[in-house]
Amino acid sequence: MIVFLVRRIAAGLVLVLVIATTTFALMGLTGSDPVRQIVGQTATQQQVAAKSAELGLDQPMVVRYGHWLADAVHGDLGISWFSSESVTTSLANKLPVTLSIVLAALLLSAVLSTVLGVAAAVRRGVLDQLVQFLAVLGFAVPSFLVALVFAVVIGVHLGWLPATGYVPLADSAGGWLKSITLPALSLAVGAIAATAQQVRGSMVDVLRADYIRTLRSRGISERSLLFRHALRNAAPAALTVLALQFIGLVGGAVVVEKVFGLNGIGSQATSAGSQGDTPVVMGVVVVMVAIVVVVNILMDLAYGWLNPKVRVG
Amino acid sequence: MRRIALTAVSAVLMLSVAACGSGSGSGSGNAATGGTLTLAPVIAAQPWDLADAGLGNNAQYYQPVYDPLLRLSPTAEVKPNLATKWSYDAARTVLTLTLRSGVKFTDGTALDAAAVKANLLHTKGGSSEAAGQLTSISGVDVVNATTVAIKLSAPDPSLVPNLGNVAGMMASPKAITAGTLKTAPVGSGPYAMDKSATTAGSTYTFVRNPDYWNKAAFPFDKIVLKPLTDPTAVLNALRSGQINGALLASAKNVAPARSSGLNVTKYTSGDVEGVYIWDREGKIVKALGDVRVRQALNYAFDRSTIVKTAKQGLGKATTQIFNPAGSAFDSSLDSKYPYDPTKAKQLLAEAGYPQGFSVTVPDVSSVFPDQQAAMVQQLEDIGIKVKVDKIPPTQLISALLAGKYPLSYMTLASFRPWDTIQIEVAKSALWNPLHSEDPKVTDLITKAQSATGATQDALFKELNTYLVDQAWNAPWDSVESNYATTKGVTFTPQAFAAVPPIYNFKPAG
Repeated sequence: MIVFLVRRIAAGLVLVLVIATTTFALMGLTGSDPVRQIVGQTATQQQVAAKSAELGLDQPMVVRYGHWLADAVHGDLGISWFSSESVTTSLANKLPVTLSIVLAALLLSAVLSTVLGVAAAVRRGVLDQLVQFLAVLGFAVPSFLVALVFAVVIGVHLGWLPATGYVPLADSAGGWLKSITLPALSLAVGAIAATAQQVRGSMVDVLRADYIRTLRSRGISERSLLFRHALRNAAPAALTVLALQFIGLVGGAVVVEKVFGLNGIGSQATSAGSQGDTPVVMGVVVVMVAIVVVVNILMDLAYGWLNPKVRVG
Repeated sequence: MRRIALTAVSAVLMLSVAACGSGSGSGSGNAATGGTLTLAPVIAAQPWDLADAGLGNNAQYYQPVYDPLLRLSPTAEVKPNLATKWSYDAARTVLTLTLRSGVKFTDGTALDAAAVKANLLHTKGGSSEAAGQLTSISGVDVVNATTVAIKLSAPDPSLVPNLGNVAGMMASPKAITAGTLKTAPVGSGPYAMDKSATTAGSTYTFVRNPDYWNKAAFPFDKIVLKPLTDPTAVLNALRSGQINGALLASAKNVAPARSSGLNVTKYTSGDVEGVYIWDREGKIVKALGDVRVRQALNYAFDRSTIVKTAKQGLGKATTQIFNPAGSAFDSSLDSKYPYDPTKAKQLLAEAGYPQGFSVTVPDVSSVFPDQQAAMVQQLEDIGIKVKVDKIPPTQLISALLAGKYPLSYMTLASFRPWDTIQIEVAKSALWNPLHSEDPKVTDLITKAQSATGATQDALFKELNTYLVDQAWNAPWDSVESNYATTKGVTFTPQAFAAVPPIYNFKPAG
């Protein structure tokens, strides 16, 4: 198990390095002119040149990457070219926003998709058809549309939950929950749809298996049969979908954060990307890839825990 | 079940970790109570160091903490502020300011002549738009604690009003020396940043500076700035009362804002958009060197229809690059080139281009799709073949400033007449990329630089009239903006400002 973990972590680090290098190269090759955007429309060419030198942009790309990498290894992700904020501090401010909505959406999808998937597989009939219909609908409607409807109807018209803004958990637990509910729900809709289908399919297959029939014939309670045996065997497939959903949710967060005016990693990534703010883009990319790697390792561990057959040495 | 439990536990753990790393911030906005004014700037905050400060929308960030030397009225008249008196010498190259005594920065440092000198030289040494407004300063002399003499390399008719904006704002010299201003502002303004209620990038909270000398001019106890870049998020935040005021960047949001009971005020933002002819001497496209061709371009555009359709009504048709609030503007010039494609074709034929000619313009369709379509169509209607050169939007400004294109659609900020001249008209101006020169233009600029009052205004008008006659550009409209406020708050628009300054906001009733 330890060897497996070490190997996965090493592979993860290589992945982070490869993606970081590619991103840096792409940022340099796009030919965007961040300095002109920083100094404004009316700054003189001398001011542009001075700013360029201040940011080190007069040095070759390889040298700049070397400096960035050396600093990054020591935990210093640099300074935003536009706001002069430390990228590390800025990520520490923004990561909680994105993680709050993504993880809440993941939690919602895990719980709701299991309930819906199991119910559809066990009850079948009208309920099954309804769940399948809702799943297709949930999958087809883009999250930005769901977000817009939620923000306007629940946030503005009904006034039940805030239409924009984020309250940190440290400030107020209730406020935090209120501020992330609509964004998380908007994000979760698609994930619930996809995962519920997977849970339903796996459960239907497992419930047909011989060992379930054998267990049932031995008089085991239906609840134990469903949750101790059937669901445990159906879970790995659903878990894989959920792990993939996590990556999708991080991508979806970009749009949802914009609609709800949340200053998370997603909105930061889009604005920094369009401005050509290389230090911020690099910081966001490294942190997000690292999170995805960690989630995947955790999912592998969970996979092994649920199904001893796949445990590897 | 264990799977669910595992997911739930890991999620809760990660959420707790996430929460621990968060800064504090105020999430619940206040309704307009008169106590707190919450505004949503549509752009992200720049560094707090004034050497890096931009103008336009950026000014709202600086106004709570930094007090300027002078104050501008809504019509941009210059009024005393930190400087109570100011006067030029006969040559107009030394500006002497008398400072208000007893003013202190929030770190206790005195605001005296030495502080003013440190600030002006520091901002001037920067590399942003505020620095650009101080380029004429050649030195600053401390005469005594409350008197400062600003020396200029040449007369600068815009300097005094510019000292009433970001370029004239004062930061603590102690903080300038310490180099801490980029992330933590220290000023002598009406408010001070409340760091415990500020999260960079999402919420900036400013509370009253108890020692401020002019509290009456700032009725709100607290100012909160929450940058929101998405027009839908802006509208939703306004409608749900989470913010009190914001620019409606999308004209589509005006009707929903009005029907939600918000006050929507339309005002001239100061930008002038349309076709800028960079190649007035025909260096790239020979035809453009002929005034008749440039006039033909002016007759080719149906300005009011462009404003109505491409701009959704947000603009005032004009033929002038000067701001309507400035003394160079002459409303009679706006009727100089009515939409007349026949006349345009006739002028082209007279100039020897009966079949038109070809021009290459940069692609601006990703940012201004409707404007680009209007430009291409109306130029082609008079026989000019337009080739659109695909370049990324981030390279547009550099390419234009490098003089790559003979003409293009563009929107440029238009401030006071002298600023516009310095930015767009003078031979060495940044936005005169092919360095067009005309002896009459140069002569009028030279005369206006040293003139004052009505004489100077008349010279500005004469220059503007000449530029319109010579069709130096083919502007379409002075851009208009819509600013929405909730019921409890009112504001007065400010001349030459993209958004109203915080001191123009008042609680309603």
